[in-house]
Amino acid sequence: MEREVRVWDNLKRDTEERMKKVAHLVEEGKVVKAENTVALLEGVIKPGDKVNLEGNNQKQADFLAECLCEVDPKKVYDLHMVQSVVSLKSHLDVFEKGIAKKLDFSFSGPQAGRLADFVRDGKLELGAIHTYLELFGRYYADLVPKVALVVAFEADKEGNLYTGFNTEDTPIIVEATKFKQGIVIAQVNKIVDKVPRVDIPADWVDFVIQSPKNFYIEPLFTRDPGLITDTQVLMGMMALKGVYAEYGVQSMNHGIGFFTAAIELMLPTYAEELGLKGKICSYFALNPHPTMIPAIESGWVKNIHCFGGELGMEEYVAARSDVFFIGPDGTLRSNRAYSQAAGLYAMDMFIGGTLQIDKYGNSSTATANRVAGFGGAPNMGSDAKGRRHSSDAWLKCGLEYGMQDQLLGKMPRGKKLVVQMQETFKEKMDPAFVDELDAWKLAKNANLDIPPVMVYSDDVTHYITEEGIAYFHKCVDMKEKMAAIRAIAGYTEIGLQAKEEETMDLRKRGIVKTPEDLGIDITRANRSMLAAKNIKELVEWSGGLYNPPARFRNW
Amino acid sequence: MLSWDELQKAKFTETNARERAFGLVDKGTFTEFVSPRDRMPSPHLPVLGEAIGYDDGVVTGIGLIGKRPVFVVSQEGRFIGGAVGEVHGAKMVQAIKLALKAYEDVKEKYPDSYEERLPAVVISFETGGVRLHESNAGLLAHAEVMDQIQDARGKIPIIAVIGSKVGCFGGMGFVGAATDVVIMSEQGRLGLTGPEVIEQEMGKDEFDASNKALVFRTTGGKHKYIMQDANFLVKDTVGGFYQQLQEVMKLPFAEIEKFRRIGSKELVEEQLELVKLAVELGAKDSMDVWKYYGNEDPAKLVDMGPEEFLKVAKRRERKLG
Repeated sequence: MEREVRVWDNLKRDTEERMKKVAHLVEEGKVVKAENTVALLEGVIKPGDKVNLEGNNQKQADFLAECLCEVDPKKVYDLHMVQSVVSLKSHLDVFEKGIAKKLDFSFSGPQAGRLADFVRDGKLELGAIHTYLELFGRYYADLVPKVALVVAFEADKEGNLYTGFNTEDTPIIVEATKFKQGIVIAQVNKIVDKVPRVDIPADWVDFVIQSPKNFYIEPLFTRDPGLITDTQVLMGMMALKGVYAEYGVQSMNHGIGFFTAAIELMLPTYAEELGLKGKICSYFALNPHPTMIPAIESGWVKNIHCFGGELGMEEYVAARSDVFFIGPDGTLRSNRAYSQAAGLYAMDMFIGGTLQIDKYGNSSTATANRVAGFGGAPNMGSDAKGRRHSSDAWLKCGLEYGMQDQLLGKMPRGKKLVVQMQETFKEKMDPAFVDELDAWKLAKNANLDIPPVMVYSDDVTHYITEEGIAYFHKCVDMKEKMAAIRAIAGYTEIGLQAKEEETMDLRKRGIVKTPEDLGIDITRANRSMLAAKNIKELVEWSGGLYNPPARFRNW
Repeated sequence: MLSWDELQKAKFTETNARERAFGLVDKGTFTEFVSPRDRMPSPHLPVLGEAIGYDDGVVTGIGLIGKRPVFVVSQEGRFIGGAVGEVHGAKMVQAIKLALKAYEDVKEKYPDSYEERLPAVVISFETGGVRLHESNAGLLAHAEVMDQIQDARGKIPIIAVIGSKVGCFGGMGFVGAATDVVIMSEQGRLGLTGPEVIEQEMGKDEFDASNKALVFRTTGGKHKYIMQDANFLVKDTVGGFYQQLQEVMKLPFAEIEKFRRIGSKELVEEQLELVKLAVELGAKDSMDVWKYYGNEDPAKLVDMGPEEFLKVAKRRERKLG
């Protein structure tokens, strides 16, 4: 029998050919000098390649991003960028210069406005906006990077990487790239003789470059307790009594806003007073929030796995290895993909702030002219349909689910608690409750297929405003859901449409609870409830181990 | 609202203007002038569609410290950043005017022992200066307060208390500097142009307003204390300020004059020497100046608690006073 002769290692041959072209740039081991980086990129990247530029909402491969902007657009063009975050100016400059053409990403933060302009003006072809896990998943399907530009604290000459406290996305990017015969280039702060621990083994890395200055990290998860308002304290008390205590929630993810910061700071005070210690808040998928320090120090927390690090928390975290995941070298290892998986499947609750809520109960942080993306919130803020293990909180929420019978008949199943918090009016007296989300306008402005919704109405279980909690999942149909939204929407246009008898009925049936219904003394809802009232007190709680960045030092 | 006893222990930065007014004078002695019940809001804000406050962001009233009537002005930073508009300014002016009237009354009634009953004015600053929504009226109010301070000169002490979140900036920074005595906490901040405005006008290299540690090192209580721009540095509690006020009230009036930082030819000359020094020293950071005044390890002072700081910090030596 004659077999057709086919080549099965094209990817490998292609990579070998590229590697040959740049062999002369390599010094000892895998080291390339910073000044040769642009030449290296021009050598290994071909037009049309899928390129991953590491960066998320924390650490950034900023030097490599800048070098990518310097390549000759006649040699390197039409790149398809696949990356977690678009947050640096250089991330969009590559499109401006015609080096890159298409983008698949997850979150954009500070560049969101410019990104919307680029999409509208046709400077950038937008693939899709993902959640982190979704994008990571596609790195292993149809978005495999040919070249990955990653970042680490240290490397040795052989290419072993130490990503340490801020390991974040590096492992999942490198694995997808390297094992599909791609090329991995790492910028590091320092090339050393021996790394403190090997986070990425040398044979998965092709080149290491010591960047001229340390990579940029954003302290995104630090909330100054000094800025928490009395209203946020009230809503935190409502959440603790009406949700945490009610369901006995033991595992959760907290958003990054001031609402959850207030809750964290009330564990040693209000929650302690309610006798909840040990009954709630034992396990977290969470970055090392400085506002968690008082709760950790008071013995509330058993376990925290981190997506990433947080500037200033290095020493504190290292000294609490009972709580955090610490390597043999004594420093934290974060990992965004694993933490997201924990957030999706192992946590009973996601709780965080939102920006806009429509009359149906869909919640979004999108504004009309900014393509901000999602990050990880939709993964954690959704009911994981694949979940099969049970817990008290999950089961109770499922038993209360008003549409369960219609969907499953007589079959018990739990439901994840997805709690969204927002004051009825935002800054500048903008109503948080609206007829139609700004996401619709954004979809039109940026040519998106669907409005970017953070959490859909069928995933949200609880809405909390200063007016009350809507136990949204208890509603039996959309009509009832809309009434529950109106009941807690205060003096917004939506709220003013509430009918008193309807609201009273919802309150009787426990679908809506006001602070009074919850037995909360509003006069106690003020900042004196917070275990720490400013950053300095967090430092004191930590016994001097927390070292806040200069921008948070009000002294 | 916290009780007077609770207030004494409460952080000054955590209290509101009314609580501070109550807590800065003897227990149970405070009476508010034109309280929110009298409803005296700004006439200008509704025209612009802005929310009003029935006290227009300032609490004024009278209380006692010992035998001395103390006229209190306490600004509220949570209402438009404590910015001074027409009504707000008028309330400040009237409080000082009343204090001056009380001075005449006391002098007439107790000609031999008036000094132990001498009125005083305490202004708790929390403001960025002029309220831009009513800028002309606000500017005028600044000038009128200055006038009153001048009229009070040599008669009754005007004491600045600076320890609230917003600090004391803009035109009110001048007013604060023109008082007789300045009491600050570490968290208090005093300056003219706010950090954000400096950054906007001069660039991030000149002053990085997002670097709070830098902002506090430059405008905060510790720096002002070392520089003698603040006469006293106290703990961040209402009680800390109240106790210092009690101490100041015990001093003979002639001593009070010595606390002034400006207001005479000699004092102006002393200030001008500082300008010269700033050029010569070429300081890049307030810590360079701290070092110049003999603080060997200035970085250490930054994290130090107030008690220890007061023990070890070396201050600029005053030529006068």
